[in-house]
Amino acid sequence: MALEGAPRSPILRQTPRCLPIARQQGRRTPCSVLVDFQWKLGMAVSSDICRSLKYPYVAVMLKVADHSGQVKTKCFEMTIPQFQNFYRQFKEIAAVIETV
Amino acid sequence: MAAGELEGGKPLNELLNALARGTFHGHPGITEQLLRSQLYPEVPPEEFRPFLAKMRGILKSIASADMDFNQLEAFLTAQTKKQGGITSDQAAVISKFWKSHKTKIRESLMNQSRWNSGLRGLSWRVDGKSQSRHSAQIHTPVAIIELELGKYGQESEFLRLEFDEVKVNQILKMLSEVEDSISTLISQPN
Repeated sequence: MALEGAPRSPILRQTPRCLPIARQQGRRTPCSVLVDFQWKLGMAVSSDICRSLKYPYVAVMLKVADHSGQVKTKCFEMTIPQFQNFYRQFKEIAAVIETV
Repeated sequence: MAAGELEGGKPLNELLNALARGTFHGHPGITEQLLRSQLYPEVPPEEFRPFLAKMRGILKSIASADMDFNQLEAFLTAQTKKQGGITSDQAAVISKFWKSHKTKIRESLMNQSRWNSGLRGLSWRVDGKSQSRHSAQIHTPVAIIELELGKYGQESEFLRLEFDEVKVNQILKMLSEVEDSISTLISQPN
């Protein structure tokens, strides 16, 4: 059973461009660019291994473009505490990037 | 074989621990033979086998129903009253075990029920402004975020993404919408 969250949001659609390379300890590691971000709030009710699951989760679908411009889809889920940590980290990033 | 061999106490607690590790937390190699030899060496295999099956079944029932403490007490009381059930000593050990391990077992069951990748970790860095002698272009600050994703029982995959300030704020806005949805869900009556 999935409860629909906000409607799909295309606000992040953009054309991938040549990517700057992230450096870490002298090694060049490629970054991908986020092209699209969609989310869904679901409720796991029951499964074959656990009849009483009853937990909400946030499902995220990312579309990312690599250095060649090829777009891939990556999906993952977070429990509510995981999501809250994810959100908190993004707020920290926003606070830091604003001051740089 | 004395009836007291299969009573509650430390061996039963250890048995439940081992059953939880094998059944819920995915530890391999926890066999009937290993458990008997380590915890109940005096008990013959033909008596240990049904005892082990009974304990495993009880633990699975409790975990599957995610019993709260009232349900647990009612369930265990019923088990003590039925033919071939458990003793009150055994019920006490099982009750204590579930109360201290419930959260961890539930977390394992949730992880096993998730078929998509989970978010195992997140790390990030903000790179500052830079300037080139040969180019008028000034790079704006960027956040580099590394997501560690992985399915249950599989190795992690790392995804590194780059965000400028505009994109970070776009994501923040959407995460705020997610939080509003969560608040709405939680405030709804069951």
